[in-house]
Formats: sequence, C-alpha cells, structure tokens
Amino acid sequence: MGGFGKNELAAKRGYTYRLTRRQFLVATSAAALAACGPAAVTPGASPSASPGKELKIGQLLPFTGVYAELGNSMRRATELYLKLNDQKLANRPVKLVYGDDENKTPTGIQITQKFIDQDQVDVMMGVVPTPLAYGIRNAVHAAKLIFIDTNAGGNALTRDTTDCKPACKSPYIFRASFSSYQISYPIGDYVSAKGTKEFYLAYANYGFGTESAADFTTGLKKNGGNVTGNVAPPLANPDFAPFVTQIKNQPTKNVYSFFSGADAIGFIKSWNSLGLPAAGYRMYGAGFLTEQDVLKEVKDLANGAITSLFWAVELDNAENKKFVADFQKAYLLLPDVFAVQQYDGMRALDEALKKLGGDTSDKDKLVKALEDVSFKSPRGDFTFDKSTHNPIQDIYIREVKTQNGQTVNTITDKIAKVTDPGK
Amino acid sequence: MTAELVFQQALNGLSFGALLFILASGLSLVFGMMDVVNLAHGAFYMLGAYVALSVVQSTGSFWLAMLVAPLALGVLGFVLEPLLLRRLRARHLDQVLLTIGVSLVIVDVIGQVWGREVRSLSAPAGLDGSVTLIGGVYPVYRLFVIAFGVALAAAMAVVYRRTRIGMLIRAGVQDAEMLGALGVDTNRLFASTFATGAALAGLAGVIAAPVFGVQPGMDTDPGLLYSLVVVVVGGLGTLSGAVAGSLLVGPADTFGKVLFQDVALAVIFAIVALVLLLKPTGLLGRIRIAR
Amino acid sequence: MRAALVAAAAAAVVTFPYWSRPWASPFATTLLRDALILAIFALSLDLLVGRAGMPSLGHAAFFGAGAYAAGIAGQRFATDQLPVTLGAAALVGAALALLIGVLVVRSEGIFFLMLTLALAQIVFAIAFQWTAVTGGSNGLSGVGRPMLAAVDFSAPDLMYVLVAVTFVLAVLVLWGLARSPYGRALTGVRENERRMRALGYDTARLRLSAFVIAGTIAGIAGALSAYSTRFVSAQDAGLGNSVRAFVTVLVGGAGTLGGPIVGSALVSLIERVVPSLLPTDLRIADAILGIVFIGFVLFARQGVVGLGHATLLRVSRR
Repeated sequence: MGGFGKNELAAKRGYTYRLTRRQFLVATSAAALAACGPAAVTPGASPSASPGKELKIGQLLPFTGVYAELGNSMRRATELYLKLNDQKLANRPVKLVYGDDENKTPTGIQITQKFIDQDQVDVMMGVVPTPLAYGIRNAVHAAKLIFIDTNAGGNALTRDTTDCKPACKSPYIFRASFSSYQISYPIGDYVSAKGTKEFYLAYANYGFGTESAADFTTGLKKNGGNVTGNVAPPLANPDFAPFVTQIKNQPTKNVYSFFSGADAIGFIKSWNSLGLPAAGYRMYGAGFLTEQDVLKEVKDLANGAITSLFWAVELDNAENKKFVADFQKAYLLLPDVFAVQQYDGMRALDEALKKLGGDTSDKDKLVKALEDVSFKSPRGDFTFDKSTHNPIQDIYIREVKTQNGQTVNTITDKIAKVTDPGK
Repeated sequence: MTAELVFQQALNGLSFGALLFILASGLSLVFGMMDVVNLAHGAFYMLGAYVALSVVQSTGSFWLAMLVAPLALGVLGFVLEPLLLRRLRARHLDQVLLTIGVSLVIVDVIGQVWGREVRSLSAPAGLDGSVTLIGGVYPVYRLFVIAFGVALAAAMAVVYRRTRIGMLIRAGVQDAEMLGALGVDTNRLFASTFATGAALAGLAGVIAAPVFGVQPGMDTDPGLLYSLVVVVVGGLGTLSGAVAGSLLVGPADTFGKVLFQDVALAVIFAIVALVLLLKPTGLLGRIRIAR
Repeated sequence: MRAALVAAAAAAVVTFPYWSRPWASPFATTLLRDALILAIFALSLDLLVGRAGMPSLGHAAFFGAGAYAAGIAGQRFATDQLPVTLGAAALVGAALALLIGVLVVRSEGIFFLMLTLALAQIVFAIAFQWTAVTGGSNGLSGVGRPMLAAVDFSAPDLMYVLVAVTFVLAVLVLWGLARSPYGRALTGVRENERRMRALGYDTARLRLSAFVIAGTIAGIAGALSAYSTRFVSAQDAGLGNSVRAFVTVLVGGAGTLGGPIVGSALVSLIERVVPSLLPTDLRIADAILGIVFIGFVLFARQGVVGLGHATLLRVSRR
C-alpha cells in the first residue's frame, strides 16, 4: 500500500522502534529548547509606567485567513493615528506589538498570554471575531490588562450575564466598536414605529447572525411588529440561490438580513439575479450588509437597501471629513468601519493618557480616565457607558444609493445616543 | 412547498451540481489515473479564480479569462508533476501528503500577490440577465452553467472513449505499469493528466466565480471540501462517478440546506459517511484489481 | 542506568517552570505547556498512523469531544474535581472513538482517511451548531480549573505540572504498549494484515481497540487544553486541528515514540517564532510550513527522528 505500509528503515536495519534513552532525552530537550526559543528567552522589561517611557500596545489582529483584510485595515488606522500624533499617545512614544490570530481562537488565546507574560504590554487592543474575545475575557480580566476591543461585537462582552456565560463585562475591558444589539435593535424599533411591522429574516447561522436577528425581532415586537419566518444559511455559504428562492416564494416583502463580507456579496447578487427587487421585496439589514468591502463589489445591485450602523463614509461632520481625507492621502483607499473602530480606540486611549499626564502606573486610574473620555470621533460624539464600557453612540439609518457614479450609504435618519442595555 | 418552488429549487440544485461537476472533474481524473487524491485541487481552483480576476481587470473579457486561467493552471500542473510528484511514484499516500504542502504554499502566495480582500466576478455581458421561466425569473448564467457542465461531461466522455489519449488514460487507470511496459511514455502521460486536472480546476475557478465568489478560504470551502464530497460519493476515479456524485450532491445539498437549516453543516458529511460505509468505492466506483 | 536518565529527563520536564524562571519568562512555560498538550495529542495519533498504519485525518474530533466533556461535566455536575472532569473527557473520547471506530475500522488507506475526515467534520458541525450544549460558534467559556482533593491547579505553574505529569504518564503508557505483544500485533497488522489474519489474529478488533485507545488519550489531551485556556472553541474539533496533529507526527517521525514529541516542539517553534521573524507585510508562515512539509515528505519521510537514527547509525558505523 506504500507509505505507511512499509517501515523501510526498520526493514533495512533490522531494527524495531523503541523508545531509547537517547530519543527521550533528545526529544524532551528539544521540546524544552523550543519553548525557550528566541521569542521566549528574554523576559520582557517591566512595564514602564512613567511619562516619556515607551508605551507598549499589544494588537491582536487577523492578518491571514478570511478576516485578513479587516486586520490590514485596522493596522492602517493604527499607524495613521500614530503618524498624525508624532508616534506618541499623550507624551508616551508607542511601541506596537502585533500578533496574528489567523482567525483561530486557540492561537489568539496563546498570543494574549504572550502579551501578558512575555511582552508585558501596557494595553491590549484589537480582536475581530467574537469567540476570540470571549475566549480571552477571563485571562485579560485576571491579569488586569486593559483591553480595548476594536471590533468583536458580541453582546455579552459588555454585559452582566448569568455565570458569565458566554462572557461578561470586566472593568478592564472597553469596547470602541459596537454591541450587536446597537446595530440591530434600534432599526427594528425604528421601522416598526414607522409602520413597517412584518418582516422575514435571513441571516448567517452563527453567533453574530442569530444575535442580530433576535435583537431586531425584539425591536419589532416593541411596536407590535412580528417575524413571519426565516432562512439561515451556514456561515461561508457558497450558493445563496436556494435561500433567496425561499424568500421569493413567501409573501412577506420586507426582509431583514444579517450577512457580512463574502456572504453579503453572495446574498445581494442572488437577490438581484432572482428578481427580488422587481417583485417588490425590500432589503433591510445591519450595517455590515452594505459596508465598503461589499459595495465595492456589488455596486448598484445594493441600491435601496436600508441598514443601520454607527458610521458611514459619507457622514458629514468635520472629524469624519478629515479622517477620510487623511486616510485617503496615506493609503489611497477609503477607510472602512473597522478602521474607524480602531482609530477611535487609539483616540480614546490617547485622551485618557492625556488626562493622566501619561502615567499608566495605576490601572484603576487609567480605567477611570478611560471611562471619562469624551471626544468627537468620525462617527460623532464618542463616550463609553460608564457601567458597561460599551460606546454610547448615534446609530444612523442609511440607504444605499448611487450618486455621481459611486454607490454609497446615504444617511436618511439618526437615532441618537443608543446605549446597550447591559443585561 | 409548492410545485413552483420545488421546480425552482430543482434548477438551483442542478446548476449547483453542474458547478460541482466542473469543480470535481479534475480531482476525479487525477485520482483515476494516478491514484493520487490531489489535496491541492482547491488551491488550483482558487488560483484559477484569481487569475481570472486579473484577466478581467486588465482586458474586461470573461471569455478570455476562461481560456487563460485553465492554460495557466495547466502549465503549473505540467511543471509540478515531474518536479514533485514523480519522485514519489508508487508512494500514493505520500503524494497525497505532498499535495497538502503544495496547497499551503499556493494559498499564501495568492494572499501575497493578490491581497486578502473579498472579491467577486460578474457574469459576462450577455449572460448576466434573467429569463422568465415557470415560477418566475431565473438567471441566465445558471442555465449557462448547466449547459456548460453537460457539454464538458460529453466532451470528456468523447475524449475518454473515442480518442487515443482517452484509450491511454483508460489503460493507465487499469494498469499503469503494464502500459509502461508496452512502451508508452507514462511520465508524459501522468504529467499531462495532472496538468489537465489542474486546468479543469482553474476552469472551475473562472466559471464558478460569479456564483461562489473569490475570497480567502475558498480553497477549502467550497473548493476542496465539495470536490472531495462529490468524488467520494459518486465514485473515485471515473467520469460517470463525478457526474453521478454532482447530480446527487448538488440537489441534496440545496434541498438539505433549506429543509434542515440547523443541521445543514452536518448533512453533507453525513451523506459522505453513509456512502463510504455502504459502498466504500463510491456509488459508481469500481473495485480495483491491483492496489 | 538508562532508567535513571529517563527518570531524570522526566523530572526536568515536570519541574521546568521552577528551574527556568530565572532566565525565561512565564510565557516559556505556557509555550511548553501547549507543546506538551500537542505532543500528547500527536502521540495518540501516532498510535494509529505510525504503529497501526491507520492514517486518520479526523483525530481532532476526540480532542474536541474531550475538551467539551471536561468543561461541560464540570459545569453540569458543579464540580472541579479532576477524577470527574478528566474522567468524563476520557470516557467521552473513548465512547466517540468506539462509535466512529466501528464505522471506519474496515476501511483502508485513502478511504479510511476520507471517512475519518467526513465523520470528524460532522462532529465539528455539531459542536458549531449545538449552542445550548457547546456554546455553538461562540465557544464554551468558564471552564473550571481542575482540582484534586484540596490541590487547586489554577496557578499557571501548577497547571503546567499537571500537563507535564500527564505527558510523562502518556509516554510511559504508549511505550509499554509498544513493547507489549499487543503493540507488536498492531505493527503486524500495519505490515501485513492478511498474514496476521492467517495467523489467527482478529485484525478488526485490534484496529478498533487501537482506535479507542488513541481516542481516549486524545480526549485527555483535549481536557488539558480546556483547563489551560479555560475555553473550548469549535475549532478544537476542526479539520485544521486534525491536520496540525498529522503534520506533527509526520515531521517528527511516524512510528516512533520520540517522533511526535520532537514534531510538537518543531511545529510549535515554527508557528510561534516564524511569524514574528517575518516583516509584518510578509504573511507566508503557512507557505514556509508547506515547504518544510514538502521537504520532509520528499527527503526525510521518516521524519526528524528517523533522520536522526539514520545519521547516528551512519556515524556509528565509521
């Protein structure tokens, strides 16, 4: 049978494999040496707390795997912020330590431990997938490491939950992005209050999708609305035609969807090629359904979609205009929402440090300073909810339109100062 | 479920099956001829899609991409076989392991060269519209895909049964050693077969792109996973096996995902396991004489 | 003499955190802990791949099942006691291996490979979707740290000791197995199954028992992983984890006891060190792993340990 069938070496040497003393010693010392590889031998310098000393920030981002482009975008935002601030936050020069979680939870957990034990970072930022955020929550809390989540939107990360499952808030964990509640409940409330009460749901069948669909439904029900059915394709689904065909063969014309990235592109393309717009079906969704990465591929196929998010590249305020211009100048690309989240995370840390004169020696003081930050971000006014550490932010209702040859999310309305309920 | 709905989903299942056939045909060919499960098949498929992206971006022609991508992959396959696989002739399991390594390299290179964003390809002009059928509007491109799949299967059948190269392949599948002893240049035959398998994967990359998209991770899902499922269910190594597999898996996956939403992920692998247990060589697979 | 040296090496591994602390950071202990868990997992896979000639690409199903079992048992029975949670992990690993084993044991070679892959994917799918039990795609959090009577293994160094001791025990068990008539019968099945059957061995039962033993040990490795990170993700049962173990066994040297151990050290090294050595724009760690793997398959099929043997023998012949 080849390969495993023949133990060639044994056959040739007349030799059976047994654990020899040599093998065991070589193996275990190799293992020990590997662990003490170059990365591990030098114990990190003790955290430099005083002004003027280097501030170490650990950034846990995906640079390979399906979310790689998000990681790249967030890195650009980080480096842009530092570039515009003389490579400093307050009066502390910044040293970034990147770790690639490769969208693998065990890898991300190990890198977090490295940040804590070896690099001894002062602050940790990043984390794209919610399972990873949940996975590191306890380690970060136990180490009293201040962690600013700049994407993962799972509700539980900033809430009081029973038995802390799947996660729960921590005084050391702040979120500069959103909770999935914030991009799902308000639009449910909004549309049903305006009279559109009956919806069909289409969402990716995983944590984020089911959470968004559930929160939207709660918002609908608040004003007497209801959900008539759903389709839930698996994550990374190749063919959306079967699901869109189901949608087309049921009477409810308003469809709330949660998809992002490749799934959103596949869904929107199928939606069009199967003739749903002409048949009167209307697409609603959480903002990621029509973010930059999707619109640049589907273009006007997404026209008419109504989504909610705390930002849009079109947002007309001074901070955003400047941010978009700076980003474009540095990278020849439009920023996306992930860049905004990371940028705001850096800004929040900067503002907190400025209040403390750059002194990070007292963790609790830093926590308090972060809780007190308030600034104008590209998304509008930014503050943290003091009890949950989730942002209090305006949620925009957006509609996709093609203007001047560009397909963009135009802002049609605003729901001010949305707070996550925290429970 | 109304009759109209069933009809529409059947069309969806058939067009999905056609894409699966185009995708799996190369894997089946290589296994049938060389007894190697090319685990880099998904990576070849992915590379074909990205090459198509570049061609369309620079020339605007989808049809040109349909020529260039398979050609490029064919050349790659023709180079890789003698370079790597030939050294392990007769060590079939080791060749399989080698292809795992190849796949890792190709996927990373794609990421470095083309970037890691999510991309897509539109159906070519002329095929991007919809046509009115029973039950409503249906995309022309998916009908084209069905037609193309049928045509490809027919062409492969003709080549297989009525040409000299087909006869050589059939002989090689039966007994490659004997074929060599009879004076046929088996090295060239194997290299060409592997190249054809790669080219077919590249072709699938182009044709499936308007439906499946072009993004990181596509080498495994749908690429390799679905190819393996089709080929194992239908019967490893035979053309009729690839056809049977895609005709079964396409509609089964389509209907399964819609009817059993929560267990959709498990359904397809349950089918694979079931077939392997009942008939290890696949539905239309043949029991091999020499192993 | 040999026994004394082996005992000394074992003691060194088990007490690593204590003698390394002056010059290595606590992260070194974490790295070694994770490498040892991978080693236990790889050793169990090697029982199948190397010794019994059963190339399984679905071994992570048992690792994941053990991890979930340890976490869930702790939560459902409201206890952190090791006998309960580790016992649950071993039991679930064994039971799942029996269930799957019965189905796969009559296949060979490529069919065995694909059948194990398919069945493991089903396990992964269940873990990913069954939110009520496994936490679904969000994972199972709040896995308790193990206790043995009054001893709390929460402290990172003690956790390491638990893993290291389990590692040493696993090596001893597998070593004993390899030298026993049972182990030799397995090797016989790998080499020439027909002859073994002619000699009167029930080869199917031999294979099944090997599968169950391997599944049990993999389940234990999974439990250790759950204790260490206090979290179980669906990926623990996924294809990526199966492939990782497979690569580890192969690169280290299949069919040897030292092989999977050396393989874990190497794979851990490559995974952790290589990305940090590359410039941030060059993300080709996987490609490097792929090239290394190709190199091994082409030129060093017996893995590092096999290479080591060949070199030692060549040297000793001079």
